[in-house]
This record gives sequence, structure tokens and C-alpha cells, in this order.
Amino acid sequence: MSLVVPDGTGIDLATVVPASGGPGEVHWSHRHLLDLDVVAWPEIELVMRTTDAMREVLARPIAKVPALRGIGVTILFYEASTRTRVSFEVAAKNLSADVVNIAAASSSVAKGESLVDTIRTVEALGADMIVMRHATSGAPYLAAEHFGGSILNGGDGWHAHPSQALLDLYTIREHLPGGPDLRGRKVVILGDVLHSRVARSNVWSLTAAGADLWLCGPATLLRGFERWASTSGDMPGHGRFTVTSDLAAALRDADVVMALRIQRERMSGGLLPSLREYAARFGLTLDRLDLARPDVLIMHPGPMNEGVEIAPEVAVDPRSVITDQVTNGVAVRMALLYLLAGAAGKPRSTSGG
Amino acid sequence: MADGVGLAGSVEVGRTVADLEISRAWLVDPASGREGPGEIVVDDGVLRQVTWLDGTEAEGIDPSGVVVAPGLVDLHAHFREPGFEDAETVATGSAAAAHGGFTTVCLMPNTSPAIDEASVLGRVREAATRSGSPIDIQVYGAVSVDRAGETLAALGELADGGAIGFSDDGAPVRSPTILRSALVYAGMLGRPVVDHPEDPALTGGAEANEGLVATILGLKGWPAAAEASAVARDLAILADALADEPRARLHLTHLSTAASLGLVRQAKTAGLPVTCDVTPHHLALTDEWIAGARRFAWEAIDADGRPRSPWADGALVAAPYDPALRVNPPLRSADDAAALMAALVDGTVDAIATDHAPHTRVDKEVEFGLAANGISGIETALGLVLAAVEAGRLPLGRAIALLTTGPAGVLGGWGWTGSRGLVEGAPADLVVIDRSATWRVEAAALASRGKNSPLLGRDLPGRVLLTVAGGRLAHEDAA
Amino acid sequence: MTGRLIMTADEIRRATVRISHEIVEKQAGTAGLALVGIQRRGVPLAHRIAEAIAEHEAVELPVGALDITFYRDDLSLIAQQPLVKGTDLPFDLNGATVVLVDDVLYTGRTIRAAMDALVDFGRPQAIRLAVLIDRGHRELPIRADHVGKNVPTSREEIVRVHLLETDGEDGVDIERVVGVVAEPIAG
Repeated sequence: MSLVVPDGTGIDLATVVPASGGPGEVHWSHRHLLDLDVVAWPEIELVMRTTDAMREVLARPIAKVPALRGIGVTILFYEASTRTRVSFEVAAKNLSADVVNIAAASSSVAKGESLVDTIRTVEALGADMIVMRHATSGAPYLAAEHFGGSILNGGDGWHAHPSQALLDLYTIREHLPGGPDLRGRKVVILGDVLHSRVARSNVWSLTAAGADLWLCGPATLLRGFERWASTSGDMPGHGRFTVTSDLAAALRDADVVMALRIQRERMSGGLLPSLREYAARFGLTLDRLDLARPDVLIMHPGPMNEGVEIAPEVAVDPRSVITDQVTNGVAVRMALLYLLAGAAGKPRSTSGG
Repeated sequence: MADGVGLAGSVEVGRTVADLEISRAWLVDPASGREGPGEIVVDDGVLRQVTWLDGTEAEGIDPSGVVVAPGLVDLHAHFREPGFEDAETVATGSAAAAHGGFTTVCLMPNTSPAIDEASVLGRVREAATRSGSPIDIQVYGAVSVDRAGETLAALGELADGGAIGFSDDGAPVRSPTILRSALVYAGMLGRPVVDHPEDPALTGGAEANEGLVATILGLKGWPAAAEASAVARDLAILADALADEPRARLHLTHLSTAASLGLVRQAKTAGLPVTCDVTPHHLALTDEWIAGARRFAWEAIDADGRPRSPWADGALVAAPYDPALRVNPPLRSADDAAALMAALVDGTVDAIATDHAPHTRVDKEVEFGLAANGISGIETALGLVLAAVEAGRLPLGRAIALLTTGPAGVLGGWGWTGSRGLVEGAPADLVVIDRSATWRVEAAALASRGKNSPLLGRDLPGRVLLTVAGGRLAHEDAA
Repeated sequence: MTGRLIMTADEIRRATVRISHEIVEKQAGTAGLALVGIQRRGVPLAHRIAEAIAEHEAVELPVGALDITFYRDDLSLIAQQPLVKGTDLPFDLNGATVVLVDDVLYTGRTIRAAMDALVDFGRPQAIRLAVLIDRGHRELPIRADHVGKNVPTSREEIVRVHLLETDGEDGVDIERVVGVVAEPIAG
């Protein structure tokens, strides 16, 4: 029997699982999933294997299991988002959880109720787990301090989006020619890295996977990342990554290219002259993709600005796995809800005993 | 009370200290340049005797036990009255100051209403009198009406009403032309302008020092240039202002970057009448605390003077995004903190000032990016400075000077006539510290209404046993 | 095996053959029958029963595997054993007579979970239960139709079935352990 540590920041794992996978003594020990910086590679592989099982469930005629029956999952989104919010709702319902969906704009939150008060109210109303998205970096950590159950971060400011990075990883491993081992494979994240929580979370997971990760974009949108890259080799459990505004160097022989959304607001912030200029210099076009490997995987976390960061032809190219990212999102989120429910620290039985 | 400290009778805070004897302590008197074993006698509020010991009598007395120093002087604190009494009042702030060993505190005018006219200044002084606290309260008037930076405040009336200087702190003096006029007019009045150097155009929405921590935590960066460019602007304007009024004086408060210190060092070498202070939290804490590190700045730097990465070092021990760490200017990197320490030692920095900024829980216990800026620091200032002394970063004498004669010299240049020495015959103004003891920083232990300290739960070195201000008891350790 | 041996390899073999005859006898033939082994050790047992039936009836019955990981009623088990071994039901459940196969029947909770899982895949005509060992201490009203061996046990004892396919050898042992033994996690 092993010890469940009901603590938000995880523990060291006693046993390392070989990169080729296979069941080992790995257990999920994190009460919350706030960011991937504290999740070790063997735990990430556990999420991958659990996602495989969830995909099998999704393939059934009745795509539902009672694993989280009696568990209250509250989805608390302070930022508008249809796809991620619905993805989490479907995931929770497929596990038979009791789901409450709160869109902040329509609730007392809009009247100025503080985050801490909202969390306490949600807990009093029976939430065992909260999936939250917030516009301010770090908000889930504040929520975790004041909540007795588990917090799953659905995206906080520019900081983290762990479930997205994990579904990105799952999708890459599923489609990567030559097998799921990412060690030494070149993955390029292209676009507005500075403001991207998807990029930051992917840095943690892809460097843990041993990938040869490149971050590329206009220099104004890479601010601060060169400093991170220069210390990346010193972070235990993670490899080095490269930062460059040289698009050709980044794309050359890439195995995976992930384009990030460029937002109009970046112009008013004075960081880019125009979207037209961005598209001209950094847009992912078929021509530019010729620099990558012929079997390169094309990815985008969505929603896409076709014609800006990604050409429409590229989005529908046979090598694009963008729709798989969406499908896998439900399975990955089911896996995460399932694993978090087990580490919640509150002993819970869904049957009467 | 520690051995050797004999306070006769039980004295209420505020009452004259009738009879106090301190034997076999380590006296530190930066005004006379003396430091060493000695004894103190206070009688009827007056410092009757200061005896320096030597030879066999001095044996066994060293700086690690009871230390007696002149009462500390804080050039920069916020007591929030009038307008924000939920966060602090002059009375609670004075109690906090006394707990921290301070006997003189200079209050910033960013109250509501701002201290931009004599009547508001009068209210603050009345509050100080009503509090019954013996702490010497000095007040800055605003530079501009409502601190908006557009028109000059009633500088003359404020000076007549007792203002020690002028500042728009909370904010910089926004308009360069207003700054120029203020330096000249205030110089004419014999008062300095204290500027909070910040270019707001570079800090819109900024949350944390632009650096590795802000990048990884997804916080909007606060560039060093925001402070350095403002310092450069102010120094250039000061140079011109001197032609109009040779008595113009500029004091730059809470400098936080190596670049700013470099500019001040240059300006002083060139003979410009500029002084500056740094806060204890900028000396001892760094932006890595926001990521969850809890080591002091001097522990977070490698042998080549480069900041260590807390991720690489496994130094992250607490949850990240503690809003108690959000402050303006932001906590910087370990090499900036090291530059501040070097500037303390080489004399570029004139004083350590706390920038005590109490806030209510409502304003602080929120998401990091929404939290008010400020650290409640007047009670923990001495502890942080002594931690640096214990780590060998700063000699004790220099540390005490930065908290006494340094600020006193700045104030003295401004017309304040209080002295900061252990002078026989003067009203007793001193702090007694037991360096062999520690104290735990806890909300209940803080006299300030502001519990927004990142040091909660931590033990700090040095207990303040006694604070005597102007001959009257200001604080006595409960233990 | 560290405990006291209560079933040898030969005894397992004979019990398996007897169960395979009982199953066919109860059904009065092989029509409609399907075997579903519960992960982990129920699966090789189900295959052995199917092989025995093929030998004496010359009929190949469909065999499936059922993973009940997501149907357990105790979430604290997730942390200890989150790994999932997979469900594979390569036949149409609707109208079939499914014989669930497991190694040890104890509290009955595993079988309840297995029935929950099964009905999510379709609507069997009937569900029966075959187990190698029935060790008593039922907490739910569940009864095995076919039992290899009844073994009275106390709650401080643990019964371990070892199979060649999963453990490298055949045998069943029983051992007293310190502290109460919880429901052994299926698999």
C-alpha cells in the first residue's frame, strides 16, 4: 500500500517508469493540478495511459462510467470559453459526476464577489472538485488555499493550462511517426509565446519528455524566454529548449509545429506593427512547412485566426491533427478528473457501503 | 527583561521613564563614531550617563547580546490617516513603529484627502497628539494638488504648518515642469522634494520585476528602466533647478535597482545635492519569493554575482503568488539586492527607510495581479537588517547608522533639529535590542493593523526590549 | 508462494474442467453462452474454461475481458492503483448469457461493479458467475453459480490465486496478515 499525500505540490516518486511505458509503481499524488512544473515525467506517462483507457470508454455505445458518481464537480470559468468549458463538462459527465457550470459573468462574481468568497460558497454547495479558468495568473493557487477539495486549473492568465499541454502531448504521441518516444524529436511552438499559458505549460511537459523544443516568434513576443531557456538545462527532470525569432531555423526538420493564436490586442499594446506583418513574417504557410519534415504534425490549441498565424490550407492539411486535439481533450480531461478524485485527500465512497 | 536592563517600576507607554539603568551592554553611537561595551542611566526622561567600559570591566560584553542604539528614524511610512483608517491610524502606526524600535517616523501624504493643504496636515498632527504616543511624527506635504501632478500644492502653507518636506509618493511627481518648480520653490523654503521614481508609462499593469520569475509565472514585467529612467529624469531636472535655487534638494526614495544606484553614485560624485534610501525588503527579499522561495537575497546569488535559479536549486518551498509580496517598486533579482547592499556599504545610500504600507485583508487577500501594492514592514525592518548583519553582509555599526544618523542627517539638512546620538543631558531617545533572542512574526504579534507581511510565520533575529522616545516609554517587550 | 497451499495446480485444473461442464449443463448446451473474465486473473481463467468447453463440446465460445477500474465504489483506491488493464468484449452482449469469471469471490463488490460495467455494453439475457475460490464474508447479496473451492476464511487472512499466465505458476495459498485485509483490488 502506498501513501496518498493530500498536498497541492506533489511528492517525489520512489520509482521511475521506463520511457517505453508499461505499468509500474507510479501513483498520482497531487491533490491539485495547477501547473505541470511539479508533475514528474512518470506521472505524465500515467496520465497518458489513463487517457488511453478513457478513449476506450468514449468508444463504447454508452460512453459513460460511474467512476465519479456522487462527486460534485463545479466548473468555474471567469473567462469566456466555449470549447474548454464544454470539454470539461462533457468529461465530468462521462464520469457520472454531478456537474455545476458557473459562467462568471452571469453570477454574483460579476457583482464583485471576491474569488475567496466564491470558492467558499461553491464548496458549501457541495463541490468536491473545481475546474477553474481565470484571467489573472496565479488565481488557482489562491483558490487552492481556501478550498478543501481539488482544483484543476483550466487556464490562469498567461501562466498555465496544464490540461491543454497534456492533450497536446497525447496527440503528438498518438500521431508521431516512429512511435511515442519524444526524446530528441523537434517540436516547434510558434507565435505569441509571451502571452501564452499554452506555451508555458508545454515547455514543462515537452522538456520533461526530452523533446528538442523550440519557441519561435517575433522578438517582442519572446520577451524573457531567452533567460528561461538559458537556465532550462539546470532544472532537474527537464531538458534545454531553444528560443529564436529565426523562423527558418526553427522550422527546419521539425517533427511537430504548433501555431499559437495571435490576438488583436497585441497591436494596441505596441508589441506588433500589424497582424498583416505578423502573417507575412511568421504565418504558418505550406511553403514554410516545406522546411519541416514531410510527415510533420500540424497543431493549434484553437481558436484559430486563419490567414494570420496559420494559413487555411495548413489547417486542413492531411498532416493537421488539430481536430484530434479537440477530441483528445475530453479523454485527457476525464483522465485528470479521475486521477485527481483519487488523490483528493478526502476518503469518499460513492456507494452506501 | 534581559539581564542588565533594569526598568524601575511598571511604566505605562507614553509616560516619562523615571529610572532606567542598562549595565553591561553593547552601545552603538554612530553620531560619535563609537561602538563598544558600556552602560546607560536614564533619570526622569533624561539620558544622565553614558559610560564606555574598557579593560576587565568590558570583558564578556560583545555585540551578540544586548545592544543599545539611538532610537531609529524612518524617513518613509504610510499611516493611512485620514481616509484609510481600516488599514492603519496614526495611533496604531505609532505603536507599530515603537515595536520596531523607531522613535521618529515621517509620514507620506497619500491619504484621503491628500495632505496638500495645511488643514489636513493639522489633522494628522492632532491625531498624533491624541494618540498619546511619544513617537516623533513628521509629515510630508504633497508636491501637487491631490498628488495629481498638475498644479503645485500649497507648499508655503504646508511648510509653515510643519511639513518636513514634499512628496507625491504612492506616485512619482508626474510632470517634469512641476518637479522643476517644486524643487526650486521647496528649496527656497528650505525643504526637499522626495520623489518616488517611476515612469508610469512603462509600468501599466505591471505585476512583478521583469525577469525569470515573471516570465515563468506569467506575470507582467516591471522593467528596471521604469525606475532608472525616472531617476535620470529627476537628476537632470535637479541639476537645472540648482541654477534657480542653490538650496534645492532631492531625495529619492525606495530605490530598487543596480541601475538607479549607479546613477545616484555618479550624481553624488558630481556634487549634486541628492540623497536616497532603500527598504529592508528590497535588501533582503527577491522576486524569487513570488515563485515560492524563502531564502534571503544574499543566499540566492552565486560566487560570480549572478542570481541563482530557484527552480534549478530546489529552493521553492512555499506556494507561489503570495500577494503579500506585491509591492511598488517590485522585489527585484538577487543581483539588484546585492547592488543595494554594496551601495549601503560604500555610502551611496544614505538611509534605510521602511516604506511601511499597511493594507486591509480585503485589499490584499486576492489574486496577485489584483492585490494592492505594499508591505507592512515597520516592525520587521530591524529584524531583516540584523539578518544581513548576522550573515556578515553589513557591519552592525553601519546598519545602525543607516537607521539613525543616516536618516537624521537627511532630515537635519531639511531643518529638523532632533539629534540622533547617545548624548548625555539630552532627552532619552534610544532602542534596546536583545540580539541573542528571536521573535516570530505573527499577525497577533504585530501592532500594526496591516498584517500584510511576507514574513508571517518566520523567526527574525533581535527582539526590541525597550523603545524610549523623547524621554518617554514607547514600547516595552511583553516577555 | 509464502502462505499455506490450499489448492495445487492439479486441483485447479480439475476444478476448471468441472466448472466448464457445469456451465454447459446449466445452459443445457452452449447456445448463447459467452465468457467474460474480470481483470486480471479472471481473464486467463475464462480462457481456460473456454478451452475445456471447446475440448468436450467442440464449440469455441466467445471470451471477453472486463476491466472494472472505473466502476469501483471506493475512490481512495484510485491513488493506489489507477492503472487500467483494458476491457475487450468482442461479441454482442444483447441476448447473450454471460458467465462472469473471477479468481476469488469475497465481499461481492467486484462482481457488483462488473455487472454495472457489463450492462453499459448491452443487455444480456442472463448473467452467471463462476469463481475459482469462494472465501465467504459477502457484503452484498451475490452468489456464485459455479465454485471451484469453498474456503472458509477470517478477515485477517489473504487468499492469493497464482496462475501460470500471470504469475508463472499455478496454485492458491492463504496467509494470515497483520491488520484487516480490505477488499482485494480486482486484478
